[in-house]
Amino acid sequence: MKRRSLLLAALLATTLGVAPALALALDVVATSPSMGALVRTLASDANLTVLAGPDRNLHDLQAKPSMIRALRGADLVVAVGAELEVGWLPAASTSAANPAILPGRVGYFEAAAQVPLLDIGGSANRALGDVHPAGNPHVDLDPVRMARVAEALATRLGQLDAAGAARYRANARRFAEAVERRLPDWQARLGNAPGVVLYHRDAVYLLDRFGVPLLGTIEAVPGVPPSGRDLRKLTSELAGRQGVIVHAPYQSPRAPNKLGRDLGWPVRKLAMSPPLSADGNGYLSHIDAWVDAIAVAN
Amino acid sequence: MQHSLLPGALCAALLVPAATALADDADIAELRAELEAMRKQYETRIQQLERRLSDAERAARTAQPTARTGAVAQPMSAPLAPSPEQPTTKGASGAFGAVTAGSAFNPQISVILDGNYYQDDTDNGNGAALVGEAFTPGRGHGHAHGEDGHDHGGHAHSFAENGFNFREAELSFSATVDPYFDAAAYIAIDGDGNVELEEAYFDTRSLPYGLKVKGGKFLSDFGYANNQHPHQWDFVDQNLPYLNLLGFHGLQDTGLQLSWVPDLPFYARIGAEALQGDQEIFGATVSDEEQDELNLGSTNTGPRLFTAFAKVAPELGRNHALQLGLSYAHAEQHQEVHSHTHAVHDEHEHEDEAHEHEDEHEHEDDQGHAHNDGVTEELHQTGLGGNADLWGIDLVYKYDGGGAYGKGDFTFQTEYLRSTKDLTVRSSAHPEQIGSSRKLTTDGLYAQATYGFLPKWKAGLRYDILGLTNEVSGGRSESFGSSDRWTLDVTWNLSEFSQLRAQYAYNDILVAEDERERFSAFYVQFLMSLGTHGAHKF
Repeated sequence: MKRRSLLLAALLATTLGVAPALALALDVVATSPSMGALVRTLASDANLTVLAGPDRNLHDLQAKPSMIRALRGADLVVAVGAELEVGWLPAASTSAANPAILPGRVGYFEAAAQVPLLDIGGSANRALGDVHPAGNPHVDLDPVRMARVAEALATRLGQLDAAGAARYRANARRFAEAVERRLPDWQARLGNAPGVVLYHRDAVYLLDRFGVPLLGTIEAVPGVPPSGRDLRKLTSELAGRQGVIVHAPYQSPRAPNKLGRDLGWPVRKLAMSPPLSADGNGYLSHIDAWVDAIAVAN
Repeated sequence: MQHSLLPGALCAALLVPAATALADDADIAELRAELEAMRKQYETRIQQLERRLSDAERAARTAQPTARTGAVAQPMSAPLAPSPEQPTTKGASGAFGAVTAGSAFNPQISVILDGNYYQDDTDNGNGAALVGEAFTPGRGHGHAHGEDGHDHGGHAHSFAENGFNFREAELSFSATVDPYFDAAAYIAIDGDGNVELEEAYFDTRSLPYGLKVKGGKFLSDFGYANNQHPHQWDFVDQNLPYLNLLGFHGLQDTGLQLSWVPDLPFYARIGAEALQGDQEIFGATVSDEEQDELNLGSTNTGPRLFTAFAKVAPELGRNHALQLGLSYAHAEQHQEVHSHTHAVHDEHEHEDEAHEHEDEHEHEDDQGHAHNDGVTEELHQTGLGGNADLWGIDLVYKYDGGGAYGKGDFTFQTEYLRSTKDLTVRSSAHPEQIGSSRKLTTDGLYAQATYGFLPKWKAGLRYDILGLTNEVSGGRSESFGSSDRWTLDVTWNLSEFSQLRAQYAYNDILVAEDERERFSAFYVQFLMSLGTHGAHKF
């Protein structure tokens, strides 16, 4: 909406014979800080709103009036996708009465739709928990996939703002190069990492990228807290092995801490996303923190 | 399977020359060349087969193969996505879309099962019905259209009885129709098999300037709780003001809604609705027979009910949300019948002050005579017609605690409703009253809070009251006080798809003039959600 009124103003200015010297800053809404980091890297001048902080579970949010307001005037919404935000983003987008950002339009961008997904085609059986047969949505912890997402996002930004297209593309390439430069170091540090126990299958893309074994998940099935028996089973399976336990800030620390005590493993609390204000470098530091945590078990 | 062909062929080919040791060098060289050619041929064919197999697997596994053809291992060398000149072709391929588990073209379907075990300590176990029929001086009966076959008068379908109750199975279907419309249908089937269309509407998706038009049968956006389906409530049952001023279904009607979300630095939404006016309580009209009998005139053509609402939410950051709302509804036509009995002594001497209001169900006894110690009770019916107004204010605050499975989440929700009916006496046993006006005002309030005290566990507390104000102008104006209730519940969300809830309420309900029922009511409820992931609406 802001853009449209600016366009009108520009049109008016031209008809009045004044050269339009208005820079049209895009209004971009990112669902998570990692998506926000990409937007900042590619289009530092965009008006960016990040809907959720790194300490909140992106799957459990509720559509809030402030989200609807942010989406109302947005030119582009950047989501992680693959049903991660299914509980609230469709509801908020519909309420925002902004046709430009509905799925299928140029203003809707989903990271998961740009890269190959893991865990595709599992059983659509909720006895197995809150399953998502379309694929595991948590693509944002894989820096290589994120580099590819950045390139696709640069193209999308270019479609919305042709004047900035070259700049967005160059920034995406720069980000991809930065990822590429760090890859050997990450690979070296994680080369013989003994493995990780996650609370939920939310960091599998990172582990998959660097060949770190996923030794187990504390939730026996997604979205359902573990029972005592689940934990005992995990403990007996992993006894005598080495590894590290990682959980997100919004996941209860009780079960991870108990498992850590029983196995003598370190327990780390790590967010899935970088801090709210992160840009591309912030995102890379966030991956660094994950690599540190996983490599510490060496 | 393909791999075993190559070694097999090679072995066979190698064994043959080994056996023919006498063959000359030229033969051997020729054989070698042939073998080499065969090997190469097999290798290419196997590679081709492997590639086709992996392509087929990928195509089968992904809904949008074209979006995923990038080489994963070398993303840096992958070509950039197509240039901005060809957005439409890319759009058709799905890169603009969302990755979902939904099957193409089928609507999203869900079924919600809602049942309970109920127990109260009233004499006949009808406490739940009493809560929905709390007495206020300004309340007559005015349920709509006797011929529609859905017995709103008895409310037998709605209220829990002692023991097991199956409230409803709610079937919902929703889909995007085309680029212009979304549509949804909600069908409720109660425990007796009665089917009721709760909502069936379209909603525009491509109007500019933040405008939306909704049409069909839907729950009005009046107030806050009005557009929630029963399974979305924080408590098993509806609050007293909604239940008694609007009815079990709230303002659920057929019509058209226009709403606007302006592009402001804070959230705001304003809207208006024109509705047919087929209501149970607010804006209700009585049956054809009663309209004739009591000189009330027939039901006007619709639309007879109009609403307007505004919501505002200040920006309070990511974890807090506050929304304030103001709503108004006007029913152009409202009819109700007040019945009361006069105690008539055998000497036919009227005792005007001794009349008693009758419960609306008893007016079927329309001969109206009961003998009681030399006193005859005579039923008098007063027909009133006019219009009605309803005001509502609401406040909702939610805090996202960020704990595991909703731990630390807090919500507070309160609404105040005030209904004013501007009526004229159209028929009465006292002819001198015909033509005089009656203004009946009743209000109600509820306030409720929930708190996630453990992962997956939530506790709720509610206070609701009906009849803070009970004004009857132009006639009697005694107030008999209000009906109120304290409710406490605990909800266990075993997963995102199942809920168990236990609820206790202490009720103090005015059932007639100066007659109260004080009772406890206890519910255990289950809610099961089958199918599509539900939306976490505000």
